[in-house]
Amino acid sequence: MAEMVDRVGARDAAEVATGRGLSRRGFLTALGVAGVAAGGGLSLAGCDSSSGAAAQPGAAIDPYGDHQTGIATPAQDRLVFAAFDVTSKRRADLVAMLEAWSKAIPVMMAGKPLADVESNPQLPPEDTGEAEGLAAANLTVTVGFGPSLFDGRFGLASRRPAALAPIPPLPGDNLNVLISNGDLCVQACADDPQVAFHAVRNLRRIAQGTAVLRWTQLGFGKTSSTSTAQATPRNLMGFKDGTNNIKGEQSTVLDKQVWVGTETDQQWMRGGSYLVTRRIAMRLEAWDRDFLADQEKTFGRVKDTGAPLGEKGEFDTVPLAAKNPDGTLVIDQDAHIRLASPETNGGHKLLRRGYSYTDGVIAETGQLDAGLFFIVFQQDPRRQFVPIQRKLGSSDLLNEYIQHTSSALFACPPGFRQGEMIGAALFA
Amino acid sequence: MSRSPLARSGAAAGATAIALLALTACGSSGGAAADGRPLVTVKLTDQGCEPDVTSVPAGPVGFKVVNTGTSRISEAELLKGSRILGERENVAAGLSASFSLSLEAGTYQLYCPGGKGPEKVDFTVTGAAPTVATTGAAALQQASADYATYVKQQVAQLVTTTRKLTDAVRGGNVAAAKQAYAPARVYYERIEPVAESFGDLDPDIDAREGDVDDLSKWGGFHRLEKALWVDGSTSGMAPIADGLDTNVAKLNTLVQTETFQPAAIANGATALLDEVGQSKITGEEENYSHIDLVDFVANVDGAQQAFAVLEPALQQIKPSLAATVDQRFQALKAALDKFHTGSTASDYANYSTVTEPQRRALSQLVDALAEPLSQVAGTVVS
Repeated sequence: MAEMVDRVGARDAAEVATGRGLSRRGFLTALGVAGVAAGGGLSLAGCDSSSGAAAQPGAAIDPYGDHQTGIATPAQDRLVFAAFDVTSKRRADLVAMLEAWSKAIPVMMAGKPLADVESNPQLPPEDTGEAEGLAAANLTVTVGFGPSLFDGRFGLASRRPAALAPIPPLPGDNLNVLISNGDLCVQACADDPQVAFHAVRNLRRIAQGTAVLRWTQLGFGKTSSTSTAQATPRNLMGFKDGTNNIKGEQSTVLDKQVWVGTETDQQWMRGGSYLVTRRIAMRLEAWDRDFLADQEKTFGRVKDTGAPLGEKGEFDTVPLAAKNPDGTLVIDQDAHIRLASPETNGGHKLLRRGYSYTDGVIAETGQLDAGLFFIVFQQDPRRQFVPIQRKLGSSDLLNEYIQHTSSALFACPPGFRQGEMIGAALFA
Repeated sequence: MSRSPLARSGAAAGATAIALLALTACGSSGGAAADGRPLVTVKLTDQGCEPDVTSVPAGPVGFKVVNTGTSRISEAELLKGSRILGERENVAAGLSASFSLSLEAGTYQLYCPGGKGPEKVDFTVTGAAPTVATTGAAALQQASADYATYVKQQVAQLVTTTRKLTDAVRGGNVAAAKQAYAPARVYYERIEPVAESFGDLDPDIDAREGDVDDLSKWGGFHRLEKALWVDGSTSGMAPIADGLDTNVAKLNTLVQTETFQPAAIANGATALLDEVGQSKITGEEENYSHIDLVDFVANVDGAQQAFAVLEPALQQIKPSLAATVDQRFQALKAALDKFHTGSTASDYANYSTVTEPQRRALSQLVDALAEPLSQVAGTVVS
C-alpha cells in the first residue's frame, strides 16, 4: 500500500489513537475545522452551485455538495492548473491517492494547513507551509479524469463515458503534446495565487510515487464572470469577452448545458461536468498595432463599453441581423461574437472560466508569451465545445491574432460529501 | 557540497555487529579455511552465482569469489533482504577475491548481477535461531553498527581504487587513468554524506571547477577529470594525485572511529537522493567525463544500504513505510538497470546519450522514492 495514505491529513484513526502518528495535533485540528465547515458552522459564501452569490474576499467555500466546486462557483481571481499522469500500475494506489486528496482538499479549502508546521523536528513538515497565515481565499479544487485514465491500466475501460471522446484535431490547432492532455487534472482557483499554488503543490506531494506532474499552467487574472454579481473582466486584448456567459445563478441553464444528467451512458458522471482547456496564445504585438475599428470588428463589440456594435449597453441583445445603411452586417459575418453565440450554435452554450496567462518571453521571437488559458465546462463536448470551436477555428476573425497551443479534456465527477472520495462511484 | 546531515556525536554504536567484515584472503582447502571455518566457493559464470554449497552452519564463514571466465559478471554479494552483508566487486575473468563474515542462522541470498540465469541464489545458515531483537532500540543499535561497517568497507575500496587512478596519473598513462576514474568514483558517491560531515574533506576531494575561488588551489577528482578528458594530459597532475591519495587516506582514518546515529543514517540516505537531483540529473557532476550515471547509481546504492540497515527497526515501528520505500527503491533500480552496459558498478551509459524524457522519468522516480524515505528518520527516532 502506498505510503501516502498515512500522510497529509489522511491518517487512520487507529494510528492517531495509538499516538504513533506524528503531528497529530495538527491533523486533529484540521479535521475539526473541516468538520465544522461541513456542519455549516462557518459562513460560506458562494458555495452552492445554484446560489452563486458574490464571494467575500478570503471566505471559505463549502467543499461538499452535489457538484464539485470551481465550476459554478463565482470565478476567483487566480488559477493554478495541473495535469498529472498516473505512473503506478496499481488501481489500489490510484484509489489511495484520490482518497488522500479527498481528505486534504476540504482541509485546505477551510484555509487550514494539513498539519502544524512545528511538529516533529525529525520529520519533514506535512504541510509545505507557504499558505500559513493566509485566508481561505475562496479556494476551490476541482478534480477531473482524462480519457487516457480509461485505457485499461486500472480496469476502467468499460467505464469511459462516450462524451469523454478525445478532442479531434480542429482547424488552426498547433498543439504541443507536452502541455496537452493528462490522466488527471486539478484545477485550483483562489483569490490569492499562493493559496492556489499551495493546494496544487501539496496534492502533488501526496501523489509522489503514484502520479507525476505532466504540465501546469498559472493564470494570473480571471477572464470570465460566472455570477450576476461579478463585472465582466477583460482579456489581454482589452475586450470584455464572455458577457453572455452562463452564470452560477442560472440553475436551469446549468442543468441543461453544464451538469451531466440522465442522458449520460455512465451513471457515475451524473452531476459531473466535462472540462476542456485550451491554451490560446495571443499575438499581442500584432494585435496592439491593429487599428481600433478593426479590433472592434473582430470581436463585434465596442472596446470601451463592451456593448455589441450598434448597441448601447454591454448586456444589450447582440443585433446579429442588423445591417448598416450600405447593406453590410453591423456584426461582421466572421466576428467572434457572432460565431460564438448560441444563436449560431444551435442554442449550445459553454460555461467559460478562463484565465489570462503569461509564460515570459518566446525565445525564438522575443515576443510576449501570453494569452488566454481557456477553460470551459459543459454537459457534452461532442455537442458543445467541439462544433463551436470547429466553426471558430475555421473563420473567426480573431484567428489572425491567436493560436491554440494546448488542449485537454477531463471528466469532472460529481461532488462529494464528508468522508467520501471524489469520484468514488467510478471505482465502486 | 551540501551540508551533511551526518553530524557526529559521541554516542557509542552498538557492539553486536553480526556482519563484521574482513576483506582478507582466505585459504582454500576443499570447503574449510585453514582456521577450520567453512569456506564457500562462489563461481561466477555467464549464468550467475554458482556456490559449491548453499548451506553452512552458523558462525564464521569465508566466501571465495572465483571468476571462471565470464565477462558478464564481476561481482558477488551476500544479501539479507536488501542489505549487503559482504561483497566483492570488479572480480574480472580469471581473478578471485574473498571475504568473510560471521553469520547467524537464517535465510540469505547470494547475488551476482548481470547473469543470464537467476541473479539470486538462496543461501541458508543453519543452527539455533538467534535471539531476535525485540525492541526497536536494539534494532537501532544494530543499525548504527551495520552502517559503520558498510562505510568502512566502502572507504577501504575507495582507497584502493583511487590508488589505481592516481598511479596511472603519476605514470602519465591517460588511457589507464580514464579507465580507473569511474570505479573510484563509485565508492566515494556511495558514502558522500559521510565525507561531507568532515568539514573541508569533501571539497578537497570532490570540488567542481565552479566551487573554488582560486583555481590554483583546485584539487581532487574533478581536477583530474578535467585534465584527462579536456586536456587529454596528466601534465602537472602528480601533486593533485598525491593530494587526492592523502585526503582519501584521511577519510579512511576518520571513518574508523566514526559512529552514526540512526536518524543521521536515514537523513544521509535522503541526502544522497538529493545529491542525485541536484547534480546528477542535471549532468553537472561529471561535466567532462559524462559518467554521471555511475555517480547516480552509486548515490542510490548508498542510500539503499543506509535504508537497509534501518529496515529491521522500521519493520517493527512502521512496516507500511518500510514496504513503500523498498518498492520504490526497486522501481528506481529497475529503471537504472536499463542503462547498465556491462557487469561492474561503473559500466553505465554515457550521460550525454540519456534523452531529456529519460532524465525526467529517472528524476520522477527519485522524487517518488525520496518522499517516503524522508519520513524514515523521524519515524525511527520518535
